[in-house]
Amino acid sequence: MSKYACANGRFGFGVWFESETAEAKESTGERQQTTKCRHEMADALNLTRSVNERSFESESSATSASNRSLRLAEKEKKRGEADPFAAAVSYLSRVKAGTVVRGNDDLERNILVVETVAVSKGLSPRVVSVLLDLALSLNAGTTNCTRVLKFLIPATVVPQEAIVRGVSWLCVGKLPMNAQVLFLRWVLTVFDLIDRKDDLRAIYGFIFSFVTDETLCPFICHLLYLLTTRELVHPHRVRKLLDIQAKTGRQPFLTQLLALYKVFRPDLVTVSLPSRMRTGFKNYNSTWKVTLSAVQKRNKGEVSVDHSLTLDVNEISLSRKRKRHHLAIPSLSSAFDSSSGKKGLRLQEFHSFAELLENIHNIELPAQMGSMLGSTLALHYLDCVQDESAFLRLNFWLGHSLQEEFLLCPADGSSDNTSEAGHFLNTLLFSQQFLQEGFSSTESFLYKFLSVWDGCLLRPQILDLLSDIPLMPSFYMNKLLFEPLKQLYFTSTLFFKCSVIECLNSMLMKWLTWHSVNASEGSLDISLNSTSNMTMTLSGFMDSVMELVRFVGLLASEGLRLENCHVLLLNQTLGFYETVCDMFLKYSLPLIIMPPAGVFYPALFSIDSISVDRLGYIMYRYRKNLTLAKQQKQRREQTFHISRNSYKEFNRNLQTMVNSMLISQWCIPGSELELDSGLIAQSRIAQPWCCFDIIHHPALFSYAIEFHRRCWPERKEMDLESIKIGKFWNWYMEFLFNQGFDGLKDFIMANTGHGSLQSQEERKSMLQSVH
Amino acid sequence: MEERGCAVDTPASRPVARKNKSYGRSCVEAPSYFWQTPGQLTVLKLPTTRGAAKSQIITDKVDPEHIALLLRNEWKLSYVTPLHCFRHNQLSSYAKHLSSFIVAEKQQGVAVEVGMDAGFKVTFTTVPGLAESDVDAETVFIQIQSKPVFAAADAVKVVWRGWLTCVNGDPEYLRSLPADFVSLPLFFTNGPESLTTLVKSWFGRTFDANFGSLPLNSSTLNWLAALWTGCHPTCNIRYLKLAWRLQSQPVLDISYTVNPQDAWELWNSIHTPESADDQIGEKEVQAFMNGLETHFFRHFKIHLSAGRLLTVSTSLGSAHHDGKIKIGNSEYITTLLTLLTEYALFKMPT
Repeated sequence: MSKYACANGRFGFGVWFESETAEAKESTGERQQTTKCRHEMADALNLTRSVNERSFESESSATSASNRSLRLAEKEKKRGEADPFAAAVSYLSRVKAGTVVRGNDDLERNILVVETVAVSKGLSPRVVSVLLDLALSLNAGTTNCTRVLKFLIPATVVPQEAIVRGVSWLCVGKLPMNAQVLFLRWVLTVFDLIDRKDDLRAIYGFIFSFVTDETLCPFICHLLYLLTTRELVHPHRVRKLLDIQAKTGRQPFLTQLLALYKVFRPDLVTVSLPSRMRTGFKNYNSTWKVTLSAVQKRNKGEVSVDHSLTLDVNEISLSRKRKRHHLAIPSLSSAFDSSSGKKGLRLQEFHSFAELLENIHNIELPAQMGSMLGSTLALHYLDCVQDESAFLRLNFWLGHSLQEEFLLCPADGSSDNTSEAGHFLNTLLFSQQFLQEGFSSTESFLYKFLSVWDGCLLRPQILDLLSDIPLMPSFYMNKLLFEPLKQLYFTSTLFFKCSVIECLNSMLMKWLTWHSVNASEGSLDISLNSTSNMTMTLSGFMDSVMELVRFVGLLASEGLRLENCHVLLLNQTLGFYETVCDMFLKYSLPLIIMPPAGVFYPALFSIDSISVDRLGYIMYRYRKNLTLAKQQKQRREQTFHISRNSYKEFNRNLQTMVNSMLISQWCIPGSELELDSGLIAQSRIAQPWCCFDIIHHPALFSYAIEFHRRCWPERKEMDLESIKIGKFWNWYMEFLFNQGFDGLKDFIMANTGHGSLQSQEERKSMLQSVH
Repeated sequence: MEERGCAVDTPASRPVARKNKSYGRSCVEAPSYFWQTPGQLTVLKLPTTRGAAKSQIITDKVDPEHIALLLRNEWKLSYVTPLHCFRHNQLSSYAKHLSSFIVAEKQQGVAVEVGMDAGFKVTFTTVPGLAESDVDAETVFIQIQSKPVFAAADAVKVVWRGWLTCVNGDPEYLRSLPADFVSLPLFFTNGPESLTTLVKSWFGRTFDANFGSLPLNSSTLNWLAALWTGCHPTCNIRYLKLAWRLQSQPVLDISYTVNPQDAWELWNSIHTPESADDQIGEKEVQAFMNGLETHFFRHFKIHLSAGRLLTVSTSLGSAHHDGKIKIGNSEYITTLLTLLTEYALFKMPT
């Protein structure tokens, strides 16, 4: 009380708030009460005005009344002349009731001055307050009232007290109807610019009393909609609105307001919104919209209206035609059980992330947990929720939806339903990616679904969901994941094979990322779930990763054989091994697994240069990882062990690659890939060991020819051997590296010490020293 | 380990431990058999043996009027996921809300005051005594009456009935649910589909429950046939009617009625009660059905096993494969509900 008294003392507000609280208590006789209050308010206003005028006099032309010197008065006057706008405002603030309007040139001129400024620059809060008072008091006549209202463009904010005073003028009941409507429309337009709203909420009852007016009702409903908080929803107000609804039928504005009441007090009222009626209130601000936005923009939008992060309710109405119910993501709503003491805020009440953050300790979960998937804001909150039953509810709902749609429903009409199902899965995917974690019902659904999936229905979504599957013990992977996937893989098209490899690559990456985040916290044991007692040791995790890599190795080598080493599949596979080769360096997982021969050789002898380049990169990264592991071992820092086999396998692969590409040799000591010389002789190739060197390699052959043509444009006969001699070799290397073969470049640089060596002999000796 | 590096500071500047797997748990059992509940895996399998049906004077425990309500009608079955925050002491308030919800849904866009009498009267009642174990929640019976505005006061007509029950639900599963859940997995409805949808949708919005249809597979129907036949000596089952559908061209519907005495003799030859608790095994049930099918084949040269069992009925009740059920006798109601509860829990999503 005292706060109001001092802040707004000169407007005599104290009395009104008393009556407001009284009004709230007295529910039945609201109407009579309100009328009485209105009279009181009007009386108070008269009283106020005298105070008001006095205060304005003392503000603007104070000096004449006070005992200050005349000199100051002169100065003031001069300043007034210099600034016609200030003078005009000061003039307008002094217009008294009963002023002659018709033919009053002074008034006309001053209004014009203010109007010009208003539409170009906007008005300061004080001026808005003065002009609103001028207009609504009808001191300058009815015509000027609407005129002033129409150019009332605030430059920054609108003071709350101005609006409150406006409402009190409304209560006086002298304003013509069109002015009342115009005033309300103006309030709705500038609502977001009103500096504070607490006093407006305090006179909620007064504003509410206008709903009985048929013309004002739509605007009043909108204003109430903007002002309502939970405390303001009373049974008598609900009943009043329902009475009006009974009289006027279903009006969208009434329904909207009642729907908001339902959000706050679902125990009092219930309403179901038809799908088409979700747009809310009509846009009432057309009169001011353009000017206002221009002025606001010019003033750099210090008080800008932020609607970027709102709850998307409108989207739901789009897919209303669905036949089956279970694919709908429910809309956010609150349980009616609000009596149970917990009175948190509802998610529907928030419009921005900032609001959410401010109230994050006091938020009530929605009645249907599934509804949280529909909105980003809710997902933000879901990320902080720690309530076990909440997740259980979410998983029950999700499991039910997925099961009913994909597992239990008979085949009929499934084709025309695909887009809806796809939409649902996309929402689910979005949520999971947002939270960077999969839901457990999705996981268990996928295990069931994989065994009945045709590999075709909603493939992108299903595979994406599959890649979200969290880490699991290797023991189960085979049964739940690999067996069904293997069957699908080997019976499907090349494109599906590529998608599967890509999906498993992304799964591996997620697992590794998750591990590296957890490992950085120091402990090596990984808890699969904070609530369960199931944990996974580091070795368990490595087993799972190993199992996955081994499985992909098998899929890839068999797939490459079946598809005749198709370039796409080969590239997907190499993409996977790009993840695998860096597990130690990038994700600090001390595990090095080499690609199987079925992947390595097709890539090495590929006719496509990109694959060869990627293989070069992979071998280079393997080398880096192994070197680091070895260094750590030598410094005895490591607590892990990388098997000798990995080193051996790497060396063998490296040697094969170096031998065939760089030094044109085929004999690989200790390799299982010993070719029978008789067999090679049968092929009648002159120098078979040269076939895959960096010049004759089928993937690089065309580059060698190009290089040859550029070096010796006059030569008729191609002699590629001449590239190997002297400086041409270095030039050739440089030429290749300039073609974008960064992988090969890294590989060659790392394995020869530097990019160019003088002769083949030197290269040989150098390379051998590396090993 | 449970905390991630990115602890968030709430306005109260309390660091919130971010869970690793906050969105559920990893599931690592053969998925069709496990339940995921917080903290543990509850393996739920359909039992391979069951106790034989025992006659029980249920009216000693349960109000005969209530029992009479359950017996008269044909019910459509659904499963229900556990109800969140359902309280048996708030049934009257649920009734008010459900009735205003129905009215509001029927008139889209018109707001309805909660607790006003408008067109529908809903009553929620508990049926105490039907629950068997102490973890079973009490059965809830719902009745919707229509009250036309211009009709006389006595023109009230029951338009819809339904009940939620749980009899001998898997105790391990029920105990593993957090305390704010009530599991009543079996939902029986009788009345227009539109009202059923509304009631389901209200339960969804109020208790975050999800409903799914519960078609009875042939193994459940086989069990019923065997269990009911086993009752013949104590309570005359009058007939054993079975219906099959064979997907041949044209579709062949076969109705097969067996003399109760013959059926019982067949069953008696297969099942020999060994011990006091009289367990029936899945194999015995299968043998019983095979016996019936072989007999039919001998006469008509049709393999019934190639078709699909649609209906089983005796005077104790009837069950249809699309999930419709009729209860004929109150004495064996517990056996029937136990079987159906098991099946509903099994069918529920994980």
